[in-house]
Amino acid sequence: MIEKIDAELARATQALSGARSEREVEAVRVEFLGKSGSLSGLRKGMGAVPAADRPKIGKLVTDAIARVEGLIDEAKKAVARRELEKDLHREKLDVSLPGRTHKRGHRHPVSQAFDDIVEIFARLGFHLADGPEIEWDLYNFEKLGFPPDHPARDMQDTFFIEKASQPPPPPGSPPTKGAMEQLLLRTHTSPVQIRTMIGQPPPVRIIAPGKVYRSDSDITHTPMFHQVECLHVEKGLSMAHLRGTLDAFAKAFFGPTVQTRLRPSYFPFTEPSAEVDVSHTLCDGRGCKICKYSGWLEILGSGMVNPDVLANVGYDPEQITGYAFGVGIDRLAMLRHGIDDLRALFENDTRFLEQL
Amino acid sequence: MKISLRWLRELCPVTLSDDEIAKRLTFAGLEIEARESRSIGAGVVAARVVTRTPIQGSDHLSVCQVDDGAGTHQIVCGAQNYAAGDVVPMARVGAKLPNGMEIRKAKLRGVESAGMLCSPRELGLSEDHAGLMMLPKDAKIGAPLDELLGLPDTIFEVNVTPNRPDALSHLGIARELSALTGVTVKTPQAQPAPDTKIPAHVHDEAPDRCPRYVARVIEDVKIGPSPLAVQERLRSCGVRPISNVVDATNLALLELGHPLHAFDLAKLAGQKIIVRRANEGEKLTTLDGKERALSADDLVIADPEKAVALAGVMGGQTSEVSEKTTRILLESAMFEASGIRRTARRHGLHTEASHRFERGMDEKTADLAANRCAELIVQLAGGRLLPGAIDRYPSPLPQARVWVRPSRVAAILGTEVTPKEVERILSALQLEPLDGNPERRLWGVPSWRRDLTREIDCVEEVARLRGYDTIPIEIHKAGVGETAGITPQERVKAAGRSALIAAGFDEVVNYSFIAEKDLAPFLASGMAPIRVANPLTVEQGVMRASLMPGLLRNLSHNLTRGVRDLRLYELGRIYLGIRDPSHPEGELAWPVFEPDYLGLAMTGQRAPKSWTGGGEPIDFYDLKGAAEDILAAMGVDDVRFAHTDAAPFHPASASELLVKGKRAGVLGQVHPLVAAQFDVPAETFLAEINWQSLVENATALRTFRGVPKFPAVARDLAFVVDASVPAEKLLNEISAVDSAKLIEQVTLFDVYRGAPVPEGRKSVAFGLALRAADRTLTDAEADSLCNAIRERLKSALGAEIRSG
Repeated sequence: MIEKIDAELARATQALSGARSEREVEAVRVEFLGKSGSLSGLRKGMGAVPAADRPKIGKLVTDAIARVEGLIDEAKKAVARRELEKDLHREKLDVSLPGRTHKRGHRHPVSQAFDDIVEIFARLGFHLADGPEIEWDLYNFEKLGFPPDHPARDMQDTFFIEKASQPPPPPGSPPTKGAMEQLLLRTHTSPVQIRTMIGQPPPVRIIAPGKVYRSDSDITHTPMFHQVECLHVEKGLSMAHLRGTLDAFAKAFFGPTVQTRLRPSYFPFTEPSAEVDVSHTLCDGRGCKICKYSGWLEILGSGMVNPDVLANVGYDPEQITGYAFGVGIDRLAMLRHGIDDLRALFENDTRFLEQL
Repeated sequence: MKISLRWLRELCPVTLSDDEIAKRLTFAGLEIEARESRSIGAGVVAARVVTRTPIQGSDHLSVCQVDDGAGTHQIVCGAQNYAAGDVVPMARVGAKLPNGMEIRKAKLRGVESAGMLCSPRELGLSEDHAGLMMLPKDAKIGAPLDELLGLPDTIFEVNVTPNRPDALSHLGIARELSALTGVTVKTPQAQPAPDTKIPAHVHDEAPDRCPRYVARVIEDVKIGPSPLAVQERLRSCGVRPISNVVDATNLALLELGHPLHAFDLAKLAGQKIIVRRANEGEKLTTLDGKERALSADDLVIADPEKAVALAGVMGGQTSEVSEKTTRILLESAMFEASGIRRTARRHGLHTEASHRFERGMDEKTADLAANRCAELIVQLAGGRLLPGAIDRYPSPLPQARVWVRPSRVAAILGTEVTPKEVERILSALQLEPLDGNPERRLWGVPSWRRDLTREIDCVEEVARLRGYDTIPIEIHKAGVGETAGITPQERVKAAGRSALIAAGFDEVVNYSFIAEKDLAPFLASGMAPIRVANPLTVEQGVMRASLMPGLLRNLSHNLTRGVRDLRLYELGRIYLGIRDPSHPEGELAWPVFEPDYLGLAMTGQRAPKSWTGGGEPIDFYDLKGAAEDILAAMGVDDVRFAHTDAAPFHPASASELLVKGKRAGVLGQVHPLVAAQFDVPAETFLAEINWQSLVENATALRTFRGVPKFPAVARDLAFVVDASVPAEKLLNEISAVDSAKLIEQVTLFDVYRGAPVPEGRKSVAFGLALRAADRTLTDAEADSLCNAIRERLKSALGAEIRSG
């Protein structure tokens, strides 16, 4: 009996190792474990085994059946694996066919620069401020130290708005008659300085990005462009803080190696006033066509807030000082991307926009 | 302003190089914007034309024998304006002209030519190329032209800011250079007039507009051209030489900065000068040949009969110095700044004189300028300077005085500045200490520095003369509670912009002003166009009251360049004026609104055609879906769309966007007539959404609601309803039945019209996801809800349940 069990086991193992399909495995199962299978037959034949041997022989038969069942399982899995492998290798994808892409849009270079600048100044503790683009002469000029008929107005060719009827007085101190009647397109973001300071006591620490307008159009001028105004007013501020903020901004915007320098200049609403140059990073300050071989690029006008401006908004210039500057964003965007014609920024040709 | 370095060095004899001077001035606030070297070179000399013979067979060439002092040369020349005996510039063989041309022996029409006779342009002196440059007959033959012209020289273009009229002259720049270097200025001197007797009268009837009027008389002048070197000096400073007398006034102007005017005294009726306001409509023909109608606000110089000059701006033709003039009345006046500016602007004139007067001149210089100029006239034009001078100066300007505290200077500059240093710098600028002590001193300001009236003005003087590079770099640390950051509102905006980019929209930025005809289809009734009073072109004549016309122009611009599939957005302000009914002509009412809007424009294909599909044209639902995605990204909930027939849209396919029940925008297919106007395809889709209302209604921070614990049950339902029933109505009815709030999501997955669905009806299919928050939903519960929905739709909307 024992020999018979061993022989059947060996035969089953042999048969399964040769089985190549599920059908062949099934045939093996039927042959050994089916109703009339040989191992099933052995189990049925247990009655003929002497009672004393029955437990031992019985276990041997059960073990043999379990062993064959395990082998059948393995054989089935092996067959399935082989079939899967065969399936997987049947046909290969052409991986060189283009994928299904989804077209992304592109931010305008000016708004990219705006975002970067707002983020830099937010980290420096500045708040966002805002003001109208259709502005009073009063705020755009007079309170900033450009009285009527002042030659400094020549620095900013102005678009005027056709006369409005009966405007109410804006908040703040009583304005002069002429300034009240005249609406214009703001020529700079500086009126936001006045509007903000009229509305709150110091300290003031704001940036005001926005559109501004000047009656000028050529390769380096467009009748509309973008500025960011920066104003910081509180006790104890000096030109050293102006330099510090400018330097931090320039390094954050252009890169950590950039240098800044100040040159004396004139703006009616700042004194002392300064033009600010940054070293030209594209040529490492060695001089090239873009920086007119000077190694420096003029990027903005700045200065200490003129005490008259502080007095105009009701601050005490003996107690409070401040600094301010205005950056032309379009020019910064041009410098960053190497754009040579400012007007391209507003043609909105997608073949231009999608490069940036 | 252009300055000659030769001239500058005569007034302030520094030994610095040109480069160093440029650097010092630039970093003191007088920016050198450009520079030009003027030199003709050694090879060009004065030469006499001995003979001139036309070349046979040529219509313009002549062959000349020319004497250059060293010998006689044969030169072929094409100019016509000369004859034998004339003295002209000759470039010798081997000479190199300023334009780079090298002179070689040549043969023209077979005739040998050894040298070249030159025009002013060929010598780089001016744009004049009408003929040879004529030199005086008595010029030394063989003398280098540079020597005759006072060259070589370097010309600086100085950017003089409006606060520094004192620097609008060679003397002014010399003073600045002196303050920077310590080299003393040689101020030009002139003999003062001993008395007031001159054969002319001056009546100043407008002392408020003309605080000072000085007049001198020169007799027996002989009008003619100025010497070459004078002409060159004027030309290099951008002033055209005219005649010796006029040139003398311009020389004095460029030297001292004070405008002067020479009248032909014989042409002044009664030898009388009257300074007065013009009569309204009074006529005056100015030196530029234009007849001008004057305003009562214009100041004129007149004789008893007529206006003879527009005071401080431009002379008049009737009293102009001409070749026949022998008696000169020289005017050196001071005119009030803003009046000059008004007149100059009113008449569209901008002259050397008006430029200076409107910035504020030094009235104390008026007599020196008159005396100096009178001497120059005598030098250049001969004649006799009559000893007397009239000087109407009723109320001399008192000296400006400023208190300056060195401690304040240090506080503003953020660095240590000693009282001694402040004194050194202010003294170098010719301020004089009058009173006080080292901590606080009173300074008298020189009359030419009218910009120094306050302490801060002197702080700036100290800062710029010390150099801005001496100011340290310091970071002001924002205190706790002061630090700003990006606000939640800004983050919502950023999320919206990211969603726009993800949805494939390119951002555009358009001008805020557009053509009024472009705005017309978009201007809602009751709104008034906001017009620019002085636009550059009619295409920029009115402020945009909508982003859509600009976007349509952008589409058209790109389409004509072959780009067919376009998705554009713009985020920016629109400008809304309200028509004021009290003004029948439609004047603008106040206030004007400037809300931020989001504009979208789409045309072309949904996705480009590729091997996986694509190529289908976009439709309304692409635009709507994009809008929904953007709103979702910003956290704007409670959004509805409702049909509208707003103006610029196709009446059948346009919708309002409602957020929390309020209108927040419009979207739809453009009206075919508008599409034609802007030259875009009919299948163009536009949206305009109030950005501020999106930001205000956005949920910046969402609250966590928990992940579902129990499984959902899915059910599909299909109905046949009238084709006119909007999907929204079906959805509303479905949710009305769901009192237990079991419906988690409804997906409208099919809309079908056509057989077997009857004509005028449509089949709509929904997928429902049902879920209870507190238990596993049973099939029975789901079936009962679906039955209730079927009943409801049947009774409310006449819906039939679709079999299958």
